[in-house]
Order: sequence, then C-alpha cells, then structure tokens
Amino acid sequence: MISISELNYRIGEHAILQDINLDIAEGEFAAIIGPNGAGKSTLIKLILGLIPLQDGKIEIDGQPHLSWLKHNPMGYLPQDEKFDRRFPATAKDIVLMGLAAELRPAQRFNANQKERAREAMEQTGCWEQARKPIGALSGGEMQRVLLARAIVGGSKYLFLDEPEASVDQAGVKNFFVLLKELNQQGRTIITISHDLHTLTSFCSFLICLNKTLHCHDKTELINADTIHDFFGETTKIVHKSY
Amino acid sequence: MFSFNFLVRALVAAVLSSFSLAIFSPFVSLRRISYLGEAFSHMAFAGIAIALVTGLNGRPVTLIFVIVLAYLIGWLSKRYKLEETNTITIFLSVSMAFAIILISLSSAYAFDLSSYLFGNVLLVNSGDLIWVGIMAVLSLAFIIIFYHQLFYLSYNAEMAQFLRIPVTFVNHIFLILLATNIVINLKAAGIILVSAQLILPAATIFNLVRHLPTVIALSAVLAVVAAVGGFALSWWLNIPTGASIVMLEFVFFLISLALRKRA
Repeated sequence: MISISELNYRIGEHAILQDINLDIAEGEFAAIIGPNGAGKSTLIKLILGLIPLQDGKIEIDGQPHLSWLKHNPMGYLPQDEKFDRRFPATAKDIVLMGLAAELRPAQRFNANQKERAREAMEQTGCWEQARKPIGALSGGEMQRVLLARAIVGGSKYLFLDEPEASVDQAGVKNFFVLLKELNQQGRTIITISHDLHTLTSFCSFLICLNKTLHCHDKTELINADTIHDFFGETTKIVHKSY
Repeated sequence: MFSFNFLVRALVAAVLSSFSLAIFSPFVSLRRISYLGEAFSHMAFAGIAIALVTGLNGRPVTLIFVIVLAYLIGWLSKRYKLEETNTITIFLSVSMAFAIILISLSSAYAFDLSSYLFGNVLLVNSGDLIWVGIMAVLSLAFIIIFYHQLFYLSYNAEMAQFLRIPVTFVNHIFLILLATNIVINLKAAGIILVSAQLILPAATIFNLVRHLPTVIALSAVLAVVAAVGGFALSWWLNIPTGASIVMLEFVFFLISLALRKRA
C-alpha cells in the first residue's frame, strides 16, 4: 500500500502539487493522467525519493518512503533515460543493473542472478536482444529492456513514466498487455499515460491530476465530459485505433 | 652500476605511472570527465608551491590541497547553483596563478618549473618509485573490486543510485584515487602531460573495441608499450621522456583512427 497525505510541492512561488491525499492499494493497475505541467512526473519522483519531499508524508507498506526505498527494490521505468548510445553495454548488462545492488565488492553476477535476468527478459520479450549493444536497440526494444530491469529485482511495485512515449502505435497495446500480465502476477502498477483510450481497457484505478487530485476507482466512470470538466480546455481525448 | 639502477628506476616509474593512469582512462572517458585530470594536475601545482614555501612535505600537502579543493568545488557548485565545469575552470586558473605568485615571492628561485610542467622521469627516486608502485596496485585493486559499481556509475549515476548501487561511495573513492594518482605521478608525467595519459589510452582503444574489460586491459597494455617505447625514444633522441610517451600514445591514437575509419 502506498499512502500519500497532505502532500504539497512548490518550485519557488509556483505550486506544482497541492494538498494531495492518495492511497494506492496493492494489486491496483493505477494510471495517472493530466495535462502537461500537472505535476504527474513530480508526484512519481516524490514517491520514488528522486526529489526531496517538502511538505506532507509518503508511506510505502506503512514505512516512511525513503526508509522503505533504502531496503527494498523498486521497479521504475523512467520516461527518458539518459545514456550514451555508444556506451559499451549490452541489453543484458542493463537488465543486470537491476540486481547490482545485491553485489558485494569484488563479487560478480552469479548463475542465479543471470537466470533471473534471462527470465525477466523473456517475460518482457527482449531475450533475443540480450547480447546486442544498447546502441543497436530500437526505442521499443530499449523500452522492454528497461522494463526487464525494473522487474528483475522482484519489486511488488512498478512505476512507469509515459511508457508509450518511445513505442510506436502498434507497440503500445502490446506493451499494456504485458503490463496487465505483470499486474495479474501480483505487481502493483502505477503508470503515467496520455493514452486514455488504451488505459480504459487495462486500468483499475484512474488518478486525474492537475496540481490537485481527482480519483476514480473504475475507469468506466471516466468519459470525455468528466475529463473535460476536470482539466478544462487543456486536454483533448484522442481515440486511437490499433 | 649507478647509471643502470638509475635508468631501470626511471623506466619502471614511467611504466607504472602510465599503467595507473591508463586503467582509469576508460572510466574518465565514459564519464566525460577528462577535464578533471587537467584540473587536478593544475591544482596540484598550487599544492606543490605551498609545500615549497612552507617547507612541508610536498606530496601529502599537495594531495590534501587537491582533495580539499575538489570537495570545495563540489560544495560551492551545489550551494550557489553554479555550473560545475565553470567552477572547476575558475579554480584551475586561480590555482596556477596562486602557485606562480607563491613561487615568485618565495626564495625558491632555483625551482625548476619545467620539470613540474612536463615531468622528468629521471628525477624519480626510490621513495617516489615505492609510491608510484603502491598507487598502481591500489588503482588496479579498486577497479577489479568495484568494476560493476564503476560500470553502472559511468552508465547513469542517477539511475544507479536509485537502484541502490553504492555509487556515491564508489565515486568518492574514484575521485580521491584519481587525484592521488595525478599527484603521485606528477613528478614522472608532469602537470601538462598527466592529463593526456589519462585520456589517450582509452580514446585509442575505444576506436577499436567496445567491450569494457578488454578496453581497460588493452589501455594498460598500450600505455606500457608507449612508456617503454617513449623511454627508448627519449634515450635515443635525447628528448624528455614524458613528452616522448605522450607523442607515442598520440601516434597510436592516429593509427586507431585510421583503422576505425576502415572498419
């Protein structure tokens, strides 16, 4: 369970998040939607401890979030991971990064860890690319490699920041099918997305954010009028067909 | 006999010094922090000047000065939200200015500036050789022990930290060892040439190979070959050793560029 209470976040005088109170139960497939600048990435980064908390409280499984994050693996697929395409790493090296915290000094990855990396890569459909240099991977392939890294540590939570951004249209639905599988295996999924049409088929919990919060337990409750009322003119519903 | 020992000592110093710097070079190159080598070596010059004026032991004073300055740069950049590369460049120039003023004000007019700028492997004594040897062993041990942490630190430090890889600790040790390597190898390699030896081996090998353990091993081999070759050239042509080593490494770099083009 992830509990957020009385969370506020500002940059200078500018309020990014205001009075956020939110509980995400285990097993949810939650999606955070909202216009640009709504504070979606900030909310995720605050939960993940990537930016410091200013005001309010975040707890994961009843523990302060930073303390939980210090002792537990957390799955995270960033929107735009910064890396040099010429960096001498293979896809498998990047997946193993999700297990590197388990290594003591002078230790190398053992057979069990390599097997876990293989399983994660098979599950996300990128095992065939295991030996490829990262510079030779397409956007969609790299996305699956990063997803494998996010799940290889066995975290029960998986955060994704606009995972559809670097995947082509046809790939988005397959990617969400994969996320649904991971959700059905017991992982709690929290994803930022703009693709409302796809989300409605997969998510169980919709978090509408525009500095303040508005939640729906069932995505069916959300229709174009609700979104329009909540976000105003800044959001358009785009229906895609795959 | 004296001459033979003196030559062997100088050759061993050149080889060990080049080796220590070369095994750091792939990480310096991947992390794009080659400017740090230059900055540390110039800051070390100010440390040497302080030691000279105060009469204190040069090496520890220089080392402490460089490490304190490195952390001061980090703190200032964070505290006042300054661009770190700008802060480093400011301190690099100020260190040189400070050193030149100190030396000119002191009575050490016999100070041989050129031997510090370009290094002189022939000035290396037995004590220096022990330090250069210790640094070579420490550097190699560090890279073997913390290989994976260094690998992921170089890939993406922020993500590595999020994934609970102890990159902050490893980065501190990396920077301290880098500074120590530069200070220890300054006498043999020189302020200006030390940074070249910290870039050229990896820049050359990366033109040919992209597998990191191979790059580290071949960078070390290349640096040792360049050290021995440069030493022989300097003896044969009667030119400074440090400069010969760097020129030879540059020739290897050009060859690697030509081979890369063909590949």
